[in-house]
Amino acid sequence: MPEPECGPEQELGPKLADAFQTQADSLSGLRGRVMAAEARRRIRKRRQTLVAAAAAVVVVVAIGGVWSAIGSPSPVATSAGDSSTGEAAGAGTNDAPSAPGKSACPEVHPIFQGDNGGPAAGTGLDLAMPVYGLQACRYRLTTGATMLLGSGSFNASTAQQIVDDIKVLPERNPDLPVFKCAPSMAQPSEAIVLRFDTGSGVVREIWVQYDGCAAVGFLTGSRTYGLYAPPLKLFMTGTLRPTGGTYLDGLQGW
Amino acid sequence: MAAAEAEAGAIDFEVWVTEKADALVRFAYVLTGDVTLAEDAVQDALTTACARWAKVSRADDPEAYVKRMVVNAHISWWRRFRRREAPTPEPVRSTSPTPDGTAARADAEAVWELCKTLPDRQRAAVVLRFYEDLSYAEIGVLLNCAEATARSHVHRALGVLKSTLSKEGAEDA
Repeated sequence: MPEPECGPEQELGPKLADAFQTQADSLSGLRGRVMAAEARRRIRKRRQTLVAAAAAVVVVVAIGGVWSAIGSPSPVATSAGDSSTGEAAGAGTNDAPSAPGKSACPEVHPIFQGDNGGPAAGTGLDLAMPVYGLQACRYRLTTGATMLLGSGSFNASTAQQIVDDIKVLPERNPDLPVFKCAPSMAQPSEAIVLRFDTGSGVVREIWVQYDGCAAVGFLTGSRTYGLYAPPLKLFMTGTLRPTGGTYLDGLQGW
Repeated sequence: MAAAEAEAGAIDFEVWVTEKADALVRFAYVLTGDVTLAEDAVQDALTTACARWAKVSRADDPEAYVKRMVVNAHISWWRRFRRREAPTPEPVRSTSPTPDGTAARADAEAVWELCKTLPDRQRAAVVLRFYEDLSYAEIGVLLNCAEATARSHVHRALGVLKSTLSKEGAEDA
């Protein structure tokens, strides 16, 4: 019950009550049953909309799942290993499986042709691209005795970290010694090819030169990045780890 | 068994709405000042009530429960926004006091028109106070504010109404 009225309430209260009651009573043609039916209709419609929205979400999720399964590999690192990957050339660092047939190390590689400019046009990695995995291949380049020395696969996380570490490097490492050598000695005895899975089904490469004296650093074909230890440490393990090299011998911490 | 209960629930809702819809629309009309808005607010409240009918029907006073839904719907931000989308002309005192004994009715009409100019919360507080005859504590609960705030809404509204009516009375004289 309302409290006792005072002042303006006493003066205007009855007028307001009268005005409200008069207006309320003036309403006619109300339709209770229609409103109940309309409420039920709206509920049904709301439920149908909810069901349709839920179905749409399920379809989208299903399509997304199928797309993930057959499309780009997940950039998220998984703990599942593929013991068959990388075993062809010894015990590599199998962080994560590479897609079979996509990035397995080829027995014969263009790097054998002695081109020190890096990967051919169209095969070098654009460092701005996201990568989803890495197969590293260490090759002996000695003329007449070329061969795969070691390999290892790395998961998306490590692969991306390697790319991120490389792309901030300057064109050359001024701390490394400068060599001038005869052409016969310029050719490196070995090098590592980093084969990145870019999710498009095409493997993109970075060549890592650390021996000889013709070229040094990370070569993408369009750019050369200086040879520094941080990215090397990430993949130079196991059979991918050289015993030395012209420039590696002058580099600390790899 | 469950189907029978559901059927009983359905009947209850239909019966209840048939009995109470008129009162609810009248209340909403006094609250909103517009028949269309009133029916809209009541329909929305009934739709929500229908979806939760098991809970609403168990409340001590289902009518008060649904009225609270109507009030909340009326003062909700989205409904005010929707009303802003369709502006109405400035309310004016449409009926002048006449000397043939209908002055009281004209006053009631004037009060009604002036109430339409009040902010939503103030108008709701005034309606709950003088149409629903609620205490300030009950108004505070319905408007989700303190009792003192409810009192303040009513007093401010009365102050505005009084000053406007006095001004218009002076002009008419």
